[in-house]
Amino acid sequence: MDMLLTEDQLALAETVRDYLAGTHGPEVLRRLDADGNRDPAIWQGLVDMGLTGLLVPEAQGGLGMGLVDAALIAAECGRACLAEPLVDTAFVGVPWLLAQGKLDQLPDVAAGRVTLPLAHAINPWVADGEGAALKSVDPMRNLAASANDNADPHLLNLGALMSAAQLVGLADAMLYQAVEYAKTRTQFGQPIGAFQAIKHQLATCAVGIEFAKPVVWQAAQALQEGRASAGVHVSHAKVAATDAAMLTAETAIQVHGAMGYTYEVDLHFWMKRSWALSGAWGARAFHLKRVDDAVLGGTLAIGPEHTFA
Amino acid sequence: MHLEYTPEQNAFRVEVRAWMEAHVPKEPLVTLECREGYDQHVEWERTLASGNWGMVTWPEAYGGRGLDLIQWLIFEEEYFRAGGPNRANQNGIFLLGPTIMEFGTEEQKKRFLTPMAKGEVIWAQAWSEPGAGSDMAAISSKAVRDGDHYVITGQKTWSSRAAFADWGFGMFRTDPESKRHKGLTFILFDINSPGITRRPIRQLHGDTGFAELFFDEVRVPVENCLAGEGEGEGWNVAMATAGFERGLMLRSPGRFQATAKRLVDLYRKHEAEASPAAREAVLLAWMSAQAYAYNTYAVAAKIMAGGKIGAEASLNKIFWSELDRSMHRTAMQLLGAHAELKRFDDGSVNQWLEGYIFSLSGPIYAGSNEVQRNITAERMLGLPRVGAG
Repeated sequence: MDMLLTEDQLALAETVRDYLAGTHGPEVLRRLDADGNRDPAIWQGLVDMGLTGLLVPEAQGGLGMGLVDAALIAAECGRACLAEPLVDTAFVGVPWLLAQGKLDQLPDVAAGRVTLPLAHAINPWVADGEGAALKSVDPMRNLAASANDNADPHLLNLGALMSAAQLVGLADAMLYQAVEYAKTRTQFGQPIGAFQAIKHQLATCAVGIEFAKPVVWQAAQALQEGRASAGVHVSHAKVAATDAAMLTAETAIQVHGAMGYTYEVDLHFWMKRSWALSGAWGARAFHLKRVDDAVLGGTLAIGPEHTFA
Repeated sequence: MHLEYTPEQNAFRVEVRAWMEAHVPKEPLVTLECREGYDQHVEWERTLASGNWGMVTWPEAYGGRGLDLIQWLIFEEEYFRAGGPNRANQNGIFLLGPTIMEFGTEEQKKRFLTPMAKGEVIWAQAWSEPGAGSDMAAISSKAVRDGDHYVITGQKTWSSRAAFADWGFGMFRTDPESKRHKGLTFILFDINSPGITRRPIRQLHGDTGFAELFFDEVRVPVENCLAGEGEGEGWNVAMATAGFERGLMLRSPGRFQATAKRLVDLYRKHEAEASPAAREAVLLAWMSAQAYAYNTYAVAAKIMAGGKIGAEASLNKIFWSELDRSMHRTAMQLLGAHAELKRFDDGSVNQWLEGYIFSLSGPIYAGSNEVQRNITAERMLGLPRVGAG
């Protein structure tokens, strides 16, 4: 039994964080919003870091890592509000193909030559795929109408898990933006962040985020180990991450005041992605129902002696 | 990361379970907050000690078993699975004990830890004063050096367990010229020393869990001071103790997972008349108790790898105290017109009512949640401080 994130895992996530902070700041989001939201140069940078091959086995030209590693990096993609379809292709599509033993496309995916649009019955759209265009509130999302009847539960679990991981990263970023604003905006002769009314709201967000993270990492590991209960843990993660991100989004705009309602302040990019991913791959009610079926339905052992059931 | 217990960990769980099933009292004990209940709980501490379960993580030389934190978590899970009573000595084993382990001399460890693990000496805390509650740096009780003794004069209040306990610990001002955090010293004292008067405080439920302590020129040997006098020594020791209190040990996840499970059972009994909101609250209770457990396992792993608990101890304290309150509130709503009954029709004690009343103290003790939110905002998020610091 070990819930430790290793130094290697944390170091890799930090490397990705630093890279994205340096190359994918808010000014990039503004450029993408104005000039077309995909950029081959950004994609190539992710490929060069090995991220498209993170979960691809070494024999197929990848790094052969696991879902916890991928979830940590998905959180970094959320933190940077990354526009490119890295998480869908590399952290959802790849493990789904692997689970089916479909290895043919993996070398091309690892090399960044192919992306994997993922159609599933839970979503009325497919992201970065073919079909009549649908407009998302998030200007970085390219959605096409899809009436797919693929209800594969493993694909759903992977999609929901990686959405949850991105949501905790998004929440972290929104909390950071609100904190930075509260440190600099002065009213009544002091930074508004010195007021307890502001402090306490932001501290409450920190509580929600910090207690959502271990749920996400635990769900990633449960899915990696192929545990029978993994779906419940993924749903738990999606609910916890959604609640943390939505609370932080609403708190962050409140802390920004009227400035938060403008296009000029960056926050809206992160809020819009949070709204989108909260609903994608099964919304809160869907996942709460799956927890309900397990916990009140009696299919999952509960109680102190069943922490990792 | 991996989620399977080792065969040794599973064998340990089986061992704890067998012992608990054989020894945990079949009937709930009388509340710890009256003489009869206190004596029952002390008796239970001694029963635990007879099985060498007093404090499993401590070295064998100090009355423990030398186990790691994962084994401690397994022990706690089985303890709460079996419905083990509250620990009369929690101020000792969970707060002072780890502090002595970190700051105490070898002589102090030998002298204080073993009787603590064996339940022979029960400890009270003496943090607050009438003028120093959330603002603990405002402590004014004095300890004046006189040869190889301190002479203590002043008053402590809200001292948990002090109505009946044997020994207490707290901070006293040893430098009369000092202000705020400086000049405070962490001192251990025998509550039965001449000059100490204890006045139990009647709580809202009518029982007396805590007390005021009046010190009138109480002589305490200087060897009872932990980590010495100095500019900020006492404050540092107290902050470490508070970290243990809010962080890992005081409220292990098993306690809340057991409550969540009882809440699920209660919901099933009342499902026909329960609202959808109550159903969601029950599910959130299970999810939050699980989240708390995952987080605690992660913190334990971090400490075992050489890390420390920092400002996240404040997040912990906010999380478990508000979870406990919301779980009991949900239970009270499910119980409806039965909620106010101190005993149910079958004569059993309404543990949900007692638990709800107790849960209201959680966001207040161990540093109010307002203070914890300030600490989170200032030390973790880096927001500016205001007022006196």
